[in-house]
Amino acid sequence: MVESEGLRDEELVGFCQRGQSQYFEPLVQRYMQKAFHIAFGFTRETESAKDLSQDAFLRAFARIKQFDGRSSFYTWFYRILVNLCLDHARHHSKVAWESLDSLSEVPGAERQFADTRSQPDQEAIAGEASRRAGEALEAMPNKQRTAFMLRNDQGLSIADIAKVMKTTEGTVRVYLHRAVAALRQSLVEFV
Amino acid sequence: MKNGLPLDNACKTFEEDLVLHYYGENNSVERRRVEQHLSICHGCQSFVDDLYRVLPPMAEQQKLPQTFWDNYYRETVAKLAEQDERKHWWRTWLAPMKTWMVPAFGTAAVGVLAVTLLLGKVNISTDSNPVNIPQDVLADSNQLEFFQSLDMLESLDKLDDQDSNKPEAKTSKLMNRQNAPASA
Repeated sequence: MVESEGLRDEELVGFCQRGQSQYFEPLVQRYMQKAFHIAFGFTRETESAKDLSQDAFLRAFARIKQFDGRSSFYTWFYRILVNLCLDHARHHSKVAWESLDSLSEVPGAERQFADTRSQPDQEAIAGEASRRAGEALEAMPNKQRTAFMLRNDQGLSIADIAKVMKTTEGTVRVYLHRAVAALRQSLVEFV
Repeated sequence: MKNGLPLDNACKTFEEDLVLHYYGENNSVERRRVEQHLSICHGCQSFVDDLYRVLPPMAEQQKLPQTFWDNYYRETVAKLAEQDERKHWWRTWLAPMKTWMVPAFGTAAVGVLAVTLLLGKVNISTDSNPVNIPQDVLADSNQLEFFQSLDMLESLDKLDDQDSNKPEAKTSKLMNRQNAPASA
């Protein structure tokens, strides 16, 4: 891999736009985990999430000359990724909810909601909470789910989410509020 | 239901602000207003407490082993290389050529182009040869010359006529006649 330490995303993109495609690899390294987790939020399947997020990198690479620097690279890249995920969600309307138990089939994977030292009944509660969270997210309109995942899981600001989703900040606030209220309703008895 | 009790509802006018407050997305004025309200409203305080319990576990991302990420990275880079190669297919086509073949191929191409242009030029010059002009067109041009010569002859006759009709010519004849007996 090329030496990229200290280089900003936009500088790496600049190298790629001048034909030095090897400078795209550090961008993959920087964003692969976030990209995978966003895709996983939509698909709930490890393999599909991997395929979707890799596809987003391929598309970004193919269109790198179209990046005009008006937004940050990650906003631009997230938009490509989220559009792919929304397309996927439209074509697979029923989300195949991969339980956190099956995630643990990936060697070394750890669970959410569960204390690793917990007793079996606590694990059962954590599993149920996870299932409920999944159902609540699945029941949400795609845009609410996107806004929630980008804010809660990825830590994007409302302004950045508005850019990714090509909407207004006010609309993102509404999406976020509705998503959070629905999740609280579904999950509060488990925490 | 929370521990068998109905869920406390937040004030409808505050609920959205409470979510923004949780995410730190409100400005200092709004934050102060929300904090003042929370100090007096049990329902809203309960709502915020629930958010602090429910949302952080959801933000925790599954921790996958390093081998997963190593494979992911390797696969992605391989797919990118494949895509890049497809974009520059002609490089692959030229790749088996030996280094000396590229300039040789270029020289041969230039030679072929030069010969083609030269032959093209010869054809252009032979095209301008009058032998290739159709006979009917040539006949037309001969006829045109013939008619032009007739026109010229006609105009000569007219000049002669004009000369014979001129008054000066008549007076000069008369003068010649008058001078003739005197001299006689």
